Amino acid sequence: MIISDIQRFCMHDGPGVRTTVFFKGCPLRCKWCHNPETQSYQKELLFYKEKCIGCGICKACDKETCIVCGACAKNCPTGAREVAGRECTARELYDQIQKDVAFYGKKGGVTFSGGECMTQIEPLAEVLKMCKEKGIHTVVDTAGYVPFGNFEKVMPYTDLFLYDIKLFNPEKHQKYTGVSNKLILENLKKLFSVGVKIWVRIPIIPSVNDNIDEMRKIKEFLDECGTPEKIELLPYHPMGESKSQALGKTPHLFEIPDSEKMKSLKEIFE
Amino acid sequence: MDFFAVNGKRPIRLCEETRKFAFDSLNHKYGLETWSTPAVSMDDYKGFQNLSPLQKYDAVIERISKTAPIRICDGEKISGSATLGMAISHNIPADFGGKPVFSSSISHLTIDFETVIKKGVNHIQKQAEDALKKYKGTEKEPFIQSCIHCLQCMKMWHERYLEQLKNKPEYRANYENLKNVPFEPAKNFYEAVQSIWFTFAFVRLCGNWPGIGRIDWLLGDYLEKDLADGMLTLDEAREILAHFFIKGCEWVKGGNYGSGDAQHYQNILLAGVDENGKEVTNTVTYLVLDILEELGISDFPTTVRINKNTDKKLLKRIAEVIRYGGGVVAVYNEDLIIDSLTDYGYELKEARKFANDGCWEIQIPGKTFFTYIPFDSLQILQQRTFDNYGTKVCFADFESLYDAFVNDLRSEVEEIIATRNASRFIYTAVPTKEWKWAPDMPCTVVSLFEQGCIEKGHSYLEGGPVYNVASPHIGGLPDVVNSLYAIKKLVFDERKVSFAEMMRLLKNNWEDNETLRQYALNKYSYFGNDNDEVDIIAKNIISDFSDICDNLESGYKTPAGISTFGRQLDWSELRMATPYGKKAHNVLAGNFSPTPGTDKEGATAIIKSYCKADLKRTVSGAALDIKLLPSSVNGENGVEAISSLIKGFVTLGGHFMQLDIADTGLLKKAQKHPEEYQNLSVRVSGWNARFVTLNREWQNMIIAQTGSDL
Ligand code: SF4
Ligand code: SF4
Repeated sequence: MIISDIQRFCMHDGPGVRTTVFFKGCPLRCKWCHNPETQSYQKELLFYKEKCIGCGICKACDKETCIVCGACAKNCPTGAREVAGRECTARELYDQIQKDVAFYGKKGGVTFSGGECMTQIEPLAEVLKMCKEKGIHTVVDTAGYVPFGNFEKVMPYTDLFLYDIKLFNPEKHQKYTGVSNKLILENLKKLFSVGVKIWVRIPIIPSVNDNIDEMRKIKEFLDECGTPEKIELLPYHPMGESKSQALGKTPHLFEIPDSEKMKSLKEIFE
Repeated sequence: MDFFAVNGKRPIRLCEETRKFAFDSLNHKYGLETWSTPAVSMDDYKGFQNLSPLQKYDAVIERISKTAPIRICDGEKISGSATLGMAISHNIPADFGGKPVFSSSISHLTIDFETVIKKGVNHIQKQAEDALKKYKGTEKEPFIQSCIHCLQCMKMWHERYLEQLKNKPEYRANYENLKNVPFEPAKNFYEAVQSIWFTFAFVRLCGNWPGIGRIDWLLGDYLEKDLADGMLTLDEAREILAHFFIKGCEWVKGGNYGSGDAQHYQNILLAGVDENGKEVTNTVTYLVLDILEELGISDFPTTVRINKNTDKKLLKRIAEVIRYGGGVVAVYNEDLIIDSLTDYGYELKEARKFANDGCWEIQIPGKTFFTYIPFDSLQILQQRTFDNYGTKVCFADFESLYDAFVNDLRSEVEEIIATRNASRFIYTAVPTKEWKWAPDMPCTVVSLFEQGCIEKGHSYLEGGPVYNVASPHIGGLPDVVNSLYAIKKLVFDERKVSFAEMMRLLKNNWEDNETLRQYALNKYSYFGNDNDEVDIIAKNIISDFSDICDNLESGYKTPAGISTFGRQLDWSELRMATPYGKKAHNVLAGNFSPTPGTDKEGATAIIKSYCKADLKRTVSGAALDIKLLPSSVNGENGVEAISSLIKGFVTLGGHFMQLDIADTGLLKKAQKHPEEYQNLSVRVSGWNARFVTLNREWQNMIIAQTGSDL
């Protein structure tokens, strides 16, 4: 499998203290993506201009001819050049995850995120199983745009799903994420019907979905199909900006929702 | 009337009057008043100059007791105030000819409050009278006479308070409560609190900075009994105890001075087992946490003893209090510390009583003379092992470099202890190493409350206490570890540079090879990132250093400890460039925490790196400071995060950890607008300080140690 990063002591990806694994590759292209380096399934070269001291050691190639061999990043002394993406086995991943076992307690554990971890389903299922066998609490963070069969594969080893709903309006969904939300909503419905634990998470993006109408529709949909254990509204933040630039992409920036706004939207779900 | 919190809004449980009292105290009302009456004058004392030091001391204590201003604060529930300003700056508050009579006073100890509340000060008086019979006519007699004299002085001071209170009908309860204590045993909770406070205030009035120790262990039984008998309600008890904490802020006076204003070593311990192994945690434990949570008082650095069986409820409470920021509550891993003390040779029952000195150095309270001897191991590496990056040094491999460093460390520690021994001991038979303690500065008041002194007829500074400890504290340890690791990688493993060239580069402060410097700085994962290859170097040094300490020849116990307490600031002037890419004069690692900027994997990785060493060997202590961002401990999950870190810390074998909630943005704002952040406190390095009372250098250091909240 290919992953982009492993972060320890994460407090916002499920209950307790968690290690979050970012899988690389995602079928969606959300305009606000804060992990732009996880979209492609290929390794990518990131170049942080502000860190470069112009030493020339990297002897880097042109963007067009770059085959992401990683040689420049390996030699770059400042970390200005960095390769996003590394292949690893389920075993290797597990070894990293178990490093913080002493801190997980009963609630905490591992969260598989991304990117879309559910699109690398075989290795995901394998590492989930390993964690489960060792009693580590497991969370899968997904946008749900995968065949339902994928959920069936991981369900036995997953304690909790973090399920993103970005927009209810189908046209807007297509426009802002690049895909339709039909499959996403259907999958969620089915997932509820099999009775697994779900937290629904909604990123709040000003001018995209930060309106009462959108939230009401999502709420109505949820009322219809099941009860998530929790609904989290996550305010947009521009943390993807520097990574986006480092990838040579033009970041799409939004405003940061203010706390009043967040509060009023949250109330809809209370 | 808000009490400052970095995160969230503090709850309200205390009555308005008490909150007002706290607010005024924290905002310098009594501190400034104290500062305005700095000392008693001995100018008109006939023949003062011709007195012996001990006679001078006795005269000074008498004058202080007779003439120090009496202060009764509006609505206070307990009485006694240390009202002389020179005590705030660690001195005995007495002048002669415009100069202080003495040069210093005593701190770094927790005195014996157990005897005070359970047996009363009169018991100590009786002990002194017995000792007088025994030592009459010997060279010990003057000290014992001084003990009896100082106890009389304490009584005079007590009388003055009773007199004042008696005439004020609204302080009737205070008067009744103070009548009996601290001279007789306390009969109930209220008296017990007053007894501790009055004794504490007297010792402080005379210039000393004692710690409080295990307050819940001292007071718990009294409170449980009063609650059961219906003598007192829980709310009443909380108010009484709150006044204790508020009165402890009577030296808070604002202003900038170095390491801050909230550090008079008034340390408190909570929870843990008693001498029989029974858990102490009781109602008082929770009341203290209530008070700290509500008022955010940072003047009593509080540490909770956590063990494998610590109640979840207590852990949760600690996490809740920590979350407001201010770094008020830290934790000990009690299981490890008790093992560490028994391995070192203390009886199990004694070990279980442990408290600390003023920051976090372990001691058996009420019976230990304690001092620590700090030194900079990075300078040893740079100046001795690398001969100031000279051209003659050369090492063929990492092992020989490591051995050379440990040898240099050994000689340095041996030299330090030998010098110290020479100044504190008189050797009566040199080859057989017989010695006696050299005479020292008078310190009778403190000696009264340290077991051993009266019995032996020796003062606190002259070998009186049951245990005498001088602990070598290694500083700059993470920087040495990182330096050795960088050389291992760059020179020996990867051969990126020759050893000689490395020395040359460092001598030149990396001026002519920025590329390699960047490489060293960015390409390796240093101490604090859960990287076994580097953490094992720390583990080995600690083990070797502890061996060195255990084998020292000295009149003291010399247990190992790891600390800097902010000395990384002073040391920075003498430090040269480091192999891991830091330039000369940078402010580097504090205590046993990672060097700022090198920890990239977060709090759990820091704790893991720290815990890999056998910290049972650092008997005096090994402090880990962790700063968490407010955003990582927000919400319900924040409490979970903090308790998980504490639990992991205990499971993995940590020693002492202080968690602080801070972010650079906030600290920078406070630097700009100090008036708005008077009560933003930060855990500095074993103690707390109000951030705005730190000087610029200290503030900058704290900011550098704190992560940024994106
Ligand atoms: S990653 Fe390899 S191919 Fe791409 S720029 Fe660097 S050296 Fe050239
Ligand atoms: S090696 Fe790194 S720092 Fe040097 S020129 Fe290349 S990108 Fe810049």
